[in-house]
Amino acid sequence: MTDPTLIRNFSIIAHIDHGKSTLADRMLELTNTIADRDMMEQVLDSMDIERERGITIKAQAVRVYFEASDGQTYQLNLIDTPGHVDFTYEVSRSLAACEGVLLVVDASQGVEAQTVANAQLAMNAHLEIVPLINKIDLPAADPERVRHEIEEGLAIPADEAVLTSGKTGIGVREALEAVVKHVPHPVGDPDAPLKALIFDSYFDAYRGVVALVRIVDGHVRKGMKVRMLATQTVTDVEEVGVRRPANLPVDELGVGEVGYLITGLKDPSLVKVGDTVTLARNGTEDPLPGYREVKPMVYTGLFPIDGDQYPELRDALDKLQLNDPALIYDPESSHALGFGFRVGFLGLLHMEVVKERLEREFDLDLLATAPSVEYHIFRTNGTSEYIHSPQDMPDPGTIDHIEEPYLKVTVLVPPEYVGPVMELAEGHRASFKDMQYLSKTTVEMHYEMPLSELIMDYFDQLKSRTKGYASMDYEYIGYRTSELVKLDVLLATKIVDALSFIVHKDKAYARGKVLTEKLREIIPRQMFEVPIQAAIGGRIIARETVKAKRKDVLAKCYGGDITRKRKLLEKQKKGKKRMKNVGNIEVPQEAFMAILKVDE
Amino acid sequence: MSSPGDIPTLPEHLYVHVPLCRTKCAYCDFFSLSRSDLPLSVDALTSALVNQACAWGERGLSMRPLQTLYVGGGTPSMLGAALAGLVDAIGTHIGFATGAEITVEANPDSIDDQLVSLLAEAGVTRVSLGVQSFHDDVLHTLGRAHDATRAIAAARSVRAWNLDLSVDLMCGIPGQSMGSWLASVEYAIATGAGHVSVYPLSLESGTPLAAEMLLGRFAEPDPDVAADMMIAANEVLAREGFERYEVANYAKPGAQSRHNTAYWTGHEYLGVGPGAHGMLTTATARAAGFIVPEDAARVRYAIACDLQTGLQPAPRADIETLTAGEAAREDVMLGLRLTTGVDVALVERAGVAGLLGRLAGTGLVERSDDRWRLTEGGWLLGNEVFGDVWAGE
Ligand SMILES: Nc1nc2c(ncn2[C@@H]2O[C@H](COP(=O)(O)OP(=O)(O)O)[C@@H](O)[C@H]2O)c(=O)[nH]1
Ligand code: SF4
Ligand SMILES: [Mg+2]
Repeated sequence: MTDPTLIRNFSIIAHIDHGKSTLADRMLELTNTIADRDMMEQVLDSMDIERERGITIKAQAVRVYFEASDGQTYQLNLIDTPGHVDFTYEVSRSLAACEGVLLVVDASQGVEAQTVANAQLAMNAHLEIVPLINKIDLPAADPERVRHEIEEGLAIPADEAVLTSGKTGIGVREALEAVVKHVPHPVGDPDAPLKALIFDSYFDAYRGVVALVRIVDGHVRKGMKVRMLATQTVTDVEEVGVRRPANLPVDELGVGEVGYLITGLKDPSLVKVGDTVTLARNGTEDPLPGYREVKPMVYTGLFPIDGDQYPELRDALDKLQLNDPALIYDPESSHALGFGFRVGFLGLLHMEVVKERLEREFDLDLLATAPSVEYHIFRTNGTSEYIHSPQDMPDPGTIDHIEEPYLKVTVLVPPEYVGPVMELAEGHRASFKDMQYLSKTTVEMHYEMPLSELIMDYFDQLKSRTKGYASMDYEYIGYRTSELVKLDVLLATKIVDALSFIVHKDKAYARGKVLTEKLREIIPRQMFEVPIQAAIGGRIIARETVKAKRKDVLAKCYGGDITRKRKLLEKQKKGKKRMKNVGNIEVPQEAFMAILKVDE
Repeated sequence: MSSPGDIPTLPEHLYVHVPLCRTKCAYCDFFSLSRSDLPLSVDALTSALVNQACAWGERGLSMRPLQTLYVGGGTPSMLGAALAGLVDAIGTHIGFATGAEITVEANPDSIDDQLVSLLAEAGVTRVSLGVQSFHDDVLHTLGRAHDATRAIAAARSVRAWNLDLSVDLMCGIPGQSMGSWLASVEYAIATGAGHVSVYPLSLESGTPLAAEMLLGRFAEPDPDVAADMMIAANEVLAREGFERYEVANYAKPGAQSRHNTAYWTGHEYLGVGPGAHGMLTTATARAAGFIVPEDAARVRYAIACDLQTGLQPAPRADIETLTAGEAAREDVMLGLRLTTGVDVALVERAGVAGLLGRLAGTGLVERSDDRWRLTEGGWLLGNEVFGDVWAGE
């Protein structure tokens, strides 16, 4: 085993686009971890979608060997954490596998909301924070100002902050030196029974579930029988190894080391992020702190446009879930849309990514209904239940009260945008808590608001109202009582279940009105008139009409127009195929998302 | 057939495209140039068009006199006396059948007594006049180069030389009231025209008119208003003895455009000039040197829209081929635009009999006397039918 004093486990944390992945690449290069010069850009973001969007969804771990200026060679384990609030729990588990972090701040952008949020996570985990000011090659770089922001805003001493450019490679060696110098080495008991933290897992089609682990005490070898404490699963260790970044088997992982375990298990739900691995016999009974069950926060209905694709959709979800146990789903049937699934996600980004992967990797055409949250319904008869689809809302007469999930939202903006942010908050039932200046150029504002309002286009609105300057972060603070009602939408006097949504009583009227107007624009004219109504418990609160189509013909159709006309007809036909037939009304997919764009 | 042996003959219908206009109208996205932008002289353009037409006769096809010639644009009347020369030259080199229909398009800004007399002398039988409206404010919105007075004068000249007159009108124009629209229809009838075409304005992206709409200078045209205007025009014209024989075309008995009818009834035609289209059976196309796939039955070509190369004797062309089934479905689609509709034999050949049967349930099509037609309620909703017919499902 490696002497723990020569090991450093660290993570790079940053606001999105501050250069985390680029910097990680440079570190791999510098340590000759990837010799191949045609290495894929940003090795750590390995999924297509991750690379395209520049976000990290799965945690990763890479071991590199670094010869420091003290002449010693160190084993550095770089753990790349997911870069989005949807995955805060996963981030916290990745951080729990480390002793320190490199806090990367863009030299021109300065401290942003996720910088603050990530720094707080690191502080809560009692990690050593090494500040690093990146992109100093930029003409707009202002390291002095940023140093100030880090000290003032985050209360982290930054006079020794490393100055780097992931682009040119400047300062990358110094960054690794700083890791060696400031990040404490791991401490553990090599003679105690195995105790390891699972900070991520993935599914390998040939090998089964693979867990990424950090050894806290003891050691693990191939052939050992191990047990996971939360799920009480016992299994054999088929292989242990390290990621460089390809899997490289090793004989043993000892105290402080990071690597992978191949369990041979076929059921990913048995291997949970945050769980503790120990020996099957005479192991520890004392789990590592911080484990919790992850629960989806946002739910949506996913339906195949072509009903025949239902089995394919189910298979695709099964496959995705293998690598993404946070994804849960149950069959859902809708009068309007047929058979599909109610799918739960960690957040909106998670939802988008999953939908995109289903369409892209599995070649499915999907229709998503507007996302909803999980409501807690308390009945007058004393029972209670959670629902996550407006369709499951019981008769209002049987409801005593309803609770919905609330968030604490942190917004960072330049002072001149405080007004617009306040205004937006009011429209989203957010209550203002407090506000403080992080620096002359940055104000930190705190709100409490329902998650259901956050998913109502809040983030896009925030960005557009602040010309892109605002950054945002949030955390869950539990359930609170709200006066909520279910709003139904009727097309041609029939309720379209997939368009129903749950809304605060005081907002119902306005949202119903705007929604019917939006739908009138979205739903194309048909051969007959289509009345659109919004109703609460049978009472119509808004009405619009899509008039019957009167004219749909190309007037001019001479020699040269004939080919063009055919092409036009083909295009029209294709457009129709992308729509969902509800009753005999052709409804475009965006209609089911219209409620999210209702900004009254 | 009059052709000697098995050598395919040239189509009997010829379209010549003249890409010249005085100014660009605000709604127009056709290919046309002003005289100063034209890279060659009017005479050179005219002789290039004639050469291109005659070149077809040198491609191993046997010539036969044309049943119809249509000189369109652009604005053919901008050629002035050269237009008469063009018609004359085609008559000399290719020839016109007895009673041939020879149409030229003209705009009121570039036609007068003198030109009409030259055209009549050259054998032109019909003038299609781009009037669009008899109201100066509407003409102004459209960016047309003439006013109502000139339109009336132009129509009078055509009639004075006893040529058949067709008047083009446009509805659904921003600022146009139903009253002013119907007045324009009445004016058109009063000119003595035997043929009237009625089009709703369509806003093509990239045109100045579309840009003005985006800038909020006027509201997006309401398709219902255009529909109301088309229906109202239909009533007025019917009362005055005009029959709607196609979606947008009205004629007094015997005054239908034979050239355009050829487009809609599956006849071969040649197209000449930049951007012009032609349609040939594969036999003709192969004889003319096109390389055509085995299973094709029909060839459509478009002359590449390049004045420099487009006017060479052997023009570069974009080619599209259709199978027998596709060609039949295309004929059903086009034939249904006509009030006479299509006969059941063609429908059978196109394999859409079952489909039309089903669509009859929607009230858009009906069958009588062994012909399928759009219903009275369906004439403005043809695309609902055509899309399915073309898809063959
Ligand atoms: N000029 C400059 N651009 C950089 C630097 N590091 C990263 N970038 C660019 O910043 C963007 C975001 O970088 P990335 O590493 O994906 O950021 P991440 O979201 O934190 O992983 C990319 O367009 C990079 O090319 C740097 O040091 N200088
Ligand atoms: S006259 Fe006809 S072709 Fe010429 S610009 Fe006007 S609309 Fe276009
Ligand atoms: Mg990244």
